[in-house]
Amino acid sequence: MLSISYNHFFILSVILFIIGCFGLFLNRRNMILILMCIEIILLAANINFVSASIFLKNLDGQIFSIFILTIAAAEAAIGLAILVVYFRNKGGIDITKINELKD
Amino acid sequence: MFVVGTFYFFAIFLIFSSLSVIFSKNPVNSVLFLILAFLNSTFLFILIGAEFVGIILAIVYIGAVAILFLFVVMMLDIELIDIVFSVKRYIPLAVLFSIVIISEIVYLTVVKTVKGNLVLEPSSVNNTESIGDVLYTKFFIDFQLSGIVLLLAMIGAIVLTHIYKPSIKRQNISHQNSVTRLERVSLRNPKNGEGIDA
Repeated sequence: MLSISYNHFFILSVILFIIGCFGLFLNRRNMILILMCIEIILLAANINFVSASIFLKNLDGQIFSIFILTIAAAEAAIGLAILVVYFRNKGGIDITKINELKD
Repeated sequence: MFVVGTFYFFAIFLIFSSLSVIFSKNPVNSVLFLILAFLNSTFLFILIGAEFVGIILAIVYIGAVAILFLFVVMMLDIELIDIVFSVKRYIPLAVLFSIVIISEIVYLTVVKTVKGNLVLEPSSVNNTESIGDVLYTKFFIDFQLSGIVLLLAMIGAIVLTHIYKPSIKRQNISHQNSVTRLERVSLRNPKNGEGIDA
């Protein structure tokens, strides 16, 4: 009898987490892709929380997943606002050009 | 059997779409694949019986966050950037990272794993109802704090993107109300056949 255990979901969320982290290193120039990779990482955390909550029969994980969702929405709004301001000032979103404090 | 097949279908689709997010050249494609990834995880959540979080994920992420991303991507006119990635630079970091992650996986899947398979049993209280039971009582403070975080994010985004232009004419209500009749109109008595010089 095939069935799903918690390990399935755990490994799925680890794979998603690694994909998100890998994307952070891979796209080191495009700022909007970095924000999207952070969203993927938060999604991995959400999957882990919700599946653990289901398998442990404890609702706290789902509640925390809702809070993570709130924080992710706030983070996306602020991040995209910073992105828009940065684009307006610089004419591009290449993050390798954010080194003006060095000079 | 149906549950297992559905799980694998959505999980593989989810991994595929999140790989496409980081590998596609065009940011618009990335955003669309991100939406697909969120949709797949929504289905996964509904599959294991967490309907409320699944639907909230669809509404918040797909309806708000991803569309926000899409607006920004379409607004900013971004040139396509090739992936710049040199494997050699990141090998020490990658080795460290993979050692940590693999040891965590082994520890958590073999030693400290959560036992038991997924049992989908009909219960008298549905998922949304039971979440509402604890969200407004046990987690009341956290709930209010998350509201404050959202308010802060809203104010922050408005303050950051607001442009103040002095050339734009705005309504100044106190100035409007303090105007007297003498500043705006004057009584003239023109002679017949002549106008009034301005």
